[in-house]
Amino acid sequence: MRPIEFEILLSLAAGARHGYAIIQDIEARGDDADVRVETGTLYRALQRLVEQGLVVPTEPRPAAPDDDARRRYYDLTPAGRHAAAAEARRLARLVDSARGLRLIPRSAG
Amino acid sequence: MTVQKPPGQPAPSGQPEPRGAAESQREVLSSDAATTWPLRAYDVALRAFPAAFRESWEGDMRATFADRVAAARSTAGRAPVRLVARELANVLHTGLRERLHSNYPKPRIMHLRDLRYALRLLIRSPGFTLLTVLVLAGGLGLSTFTFSFLYTAMIRPLPLSEGERIVRIDAVVDGRRRAIDAADVGALRTSLRTVRELGAYTGRELVVGRDGDGRMVDATAAEPSLFAVARTPALFGRTLLPSDAVEGAAPVIVLSYRTWEVAFGADRSVVDSEVAIDGVSTLVVGVMPEGFGFPVASEAWVPLPATTTAATMPGMESVRLVGRLAPGVSHAEASAEASPLLRRLLAARDTSARPANVAASVESFASVQFGDERLLVFTVLNLLAALILLLALVNVVNLLLARANERIRETAVRMALGASMGRLVVQGMWETLILCAMGGVLGTAGAAWGLEAITRWTRANMEGNLAFWWVWRMDSVTLICAGAFVTVAVVAMGVVVSLRTTRTNVREVLQDGGARSGGRSIGRISRALVTVQVTTVTVLMYFGVMAGVMAERALTIDPGFDTTRLVQGGIAPPPARYTTDAERAVLFRNLQARLAEQGELDEVILRRTLAEKQSSGGRFTLRDARQTGAAPSAFVVATLGDLNTLGVQVMDGRPFNAADDGERAPVAIISRALAARHWAGRSPVGDQLRLAAVGDTARWITIVGVASDLPYGDPLSRDRSADAIYLPLLQSGATYATFLARYRSSELAARQSLRQTFAQVDPLLVPDGVQSYDEVLRKVGLITTSVSRLFAACFAFSLLLALVGTFGLMSRRIGLRTREIGVRRALGATDASITALLLGQGGRQLGVGTLMAAPLLAGVGMAFSYYFPISAWISLTAGLAVSLAIVALILAATWMPTRQVLRVTPRDALWRD
Repeated sequence: MRPIEFEILLSLAAGARHGYAIIQDIEARGDDADVRVETGTLYRALQRLVEQGLVVPTEPRPAAPDDDARRRYYDLTPAGRHAAAAEARRLARLVDSARGLRLIPRSAG
Repeated sequence: MTVQKPPGQPAPSGQPEPRGAAESQREVLSSDAATTWPLRAYDVALRAFPAAFRESWEGDMRATFADRVAAARSTAGRAPVRLVARELANVLHTGLRERLHSNYPKPRIMHLRDLRYALRLLIRSPGFTLLTVLVLAGGLGLSTFTFSFLYTAMIRPLPLSEGERIVRIDAVVDGRRRAIDAADVGALRTSLRTVRELGAYTGRELVVGRDGDGRMVDATAAEPSLFAVARTPALFGRTLLPSDAVEGAAPVIVLSYRTWEVAFGADRSVVDSEVAIDGVSTLVVGVMPEGFGFPVASEAWVPLPATTTAATMPGMESVRLVGRLAPGVSHAEASAEASPLLRRLLAARDTSARPANVAASVESFASVQFGDERLLVFTVLNLLAALILLLALVNVVNLLLARANERIRETAVRMALGASMGRLVVQGMWETLILCAMGGVLGTAGAAWGLEAITRWTRANMEGNLAFWWVWRMDSVTLICAGAFVTVAVVAMGVVVSLRTTRTNVREVLQDGGARSGGRSIGRISRALVTVQVTTVTVLMYFGVMAGVMAERALTIDPGFDTTRLVQGGIAPPPARYTTDAERAVLFRNLQARLAEQGELDEVILRRTLAEKQSSGGRFTLRDARQTGAAPSAFVVATLGDLNTLGVQVMDGRPFNAADDGERAPVAIISRALAARHWAGRSPVGDQLRLAAVGDTARWITIVGVASDLPYGDPLSRDRSADAIYLPLLQSGATYATFLARYRSSELAARQSLRQTFAQVDPLLVPDGVQSYDEVLRKVGLITTSVSRLFAACFAFSLLLALVGTFGLMSRRIGLRTREIGVRRALGATDASITALLLGQGGRQLGVGTLMAAPLLAGVGMAFSYYFPISAWISLTAGLAVSLAIVALILAATWMPTRQVLRVTPRDALWRD
């Protein structure tokens, strides 16, 4: 899984979002101000995730007060949630290994 | 489930939105002017994505982008240029990646059936196809021919190993190109680092064979290193060796293939055998390969004695110098290295008060043969050819537009049925491609035929005067050039025809029948094309007329004296045997006297132009130094014999006499024009002057006479002048002289008589380059008339193109107005008012085209007046005449369809669709 795809899955794990909200979430999550996602990259990744069945444009739209009529919302499919969890576990294992090898300090976690 | 609401957005309406419905978004998103331009740019960038991707994601992407821009604006308060730039770059990058990595079905726009369709259409209208192909072939063929011809003549590197590195080194003295002084060759050879393997040469005429069956050949006296520069080995035997050039070496000769064939019947045994060259038994050491004539058109090579460059006094002999550029060195770098060197060498011996301005010029050998105006000539002639191509393209585009207009309903129906724009454009392009391919093949074949014909013509008429690399034929450069021109044609025609297709308004066409749809823009294009056509043809015709005036001048050159039965030739005393002025003077005097005694020859004069008016040698100083302003200068001509032959009579004082030789006080005769300029109102006889042209500049020369005027200088240049100073040849120190004589019976007898006389005076001396004036004039006339005819054919073609094009275009436009004209006539309009209306329609473009041509005509006219002695009023009159003629012809081409439409009765016109 590519980093951008995992980032999108993470953003959608909290609930359905439209494209701009995903970008905002990813940029807010990064501790580095230079973390940037542009629309071309985002939608190419979204297309891959939709094709893989991990993400789906939501059919029943979110509740009216929070809705924005102009855009589509995306949500995780069960497979997407499963894939995101699996990827997170894999990354956690890798981080643990890195800690064991003292590549990153223990306190960082 | 939480949903983040983007900032700065209108309240959600709760309405569901169809996928990819960009229209309504566009209205919302474009409401803010500051977000309009980024969105427009974004829309354009989105085209980088495949259509299938855009169909699913475009609307969403735009919305997200607009959100980002709006959010950034609300924070920063201005357009977020950096964000937009990043986004655009990202969209372009990811879009192209998507195209590369995706497997979307590519929309098929290339269909074989379109090719078949285009072919069918073309076959169905053979008249249109033939006309278009012929016009294209003419334009493409002419351009290709012109470029290829000029490229071979002026630019192509010599056909020798690494020929592009072969250069000629010239001295440039006071802006004029000069050969190198033989005395400077040694210094240049040892000092120059940027040019290597220097070889000096000079032209020489030799008689090969015995008396009676001897043959005159244009030979080259060359340093043996010349063959190293050429990097060409002999076909048989060997080339010249350094040992051949040392003093006292046995005389040897290397023959050209042609001389070997013509003079020795291609007999192999002639190599290593002795033959008579100028009456001296000479060993033939080799024969060069066929087609080799380095440096220019040499028919044989003899060694240039090593003493020429090693032991000659400065100013005694000039040689041409060739060499090879060191690898990686440019012509400019080599010139920069050679210039100071040459300047030092000349400064060391220039004793005149005002030293000449000296530089060296190192230039490509092939191109330098054409003189300093070669780039101008190359550009101007190619520009003319390009203009003819432009004219052809304008006409073909007009024809194609007319066709596209006729088929507009078909195009609209196809569009309405869902044909993509790409498909329709490609379909239209097939027709263009086929026409250009056919025109290109025909044009290239024509150009190839023309090149071969030129080669044949020059071989038949100018054999011996042609540079050995001037072989015109079909080659890779011609093909590349033809390909480039065809590509230009395809692109130019394709763009216009595609524009027509993309501007089709389906609804209008289907409702209206298409007569008016797109009419305005097409009308604009058509009018612009007519204007371009008028401008182009006016400039072309003007150039043609001015070239014609020049040709007429060249054919009627007035040398200033009677040239009938006049022969001329050179006397070149070999420096090895004639070492002093006194020895040469004896030779000249003997020759003049013997020639004058010949019953066959009359009015014999020897002369030598020592300096031209524009050169530093032409300057003189008056003893009675009252002159002010620019230093006086004149042509300086040394003579021996009857000045009457030149049509010059002594009007005041005395002519030269036999006593005016090196032993006596120096004397001069000046021309009447010069006398009037510097001795206004009094006789110059008895005054004294000093001349830079003669070796001893400290010597005062006494004026003994005033002679009638004779124009000197290039007859086709502005440098022609009658300011002349004549000196006795025997006092001038000339090392070379030209003789002029009038023969009594025949030219052949005169030549024999000349040979015999020379042999009597010096058995080893032959007259140099003997030719009759009639022959020179015939050659000049032949070249001039041939070039003029070629020009005339080209310009006639362009005029025909313009007339046919205008006629076609006006016929169509007037034809479209038939009904309107019918209505006007039914309402009482007279024929005269309708004629005025229609002529006025064409008249506007005609006026604009003529006005646009005016500054160009002025430029061309000024250029002609600058380079040639053509007065401004001739240029002006010719410009006006050409403009008027074009206006009249184009109006005539408009009037013919007008007359036709007036024959239609109002009733028929109203019924016409």
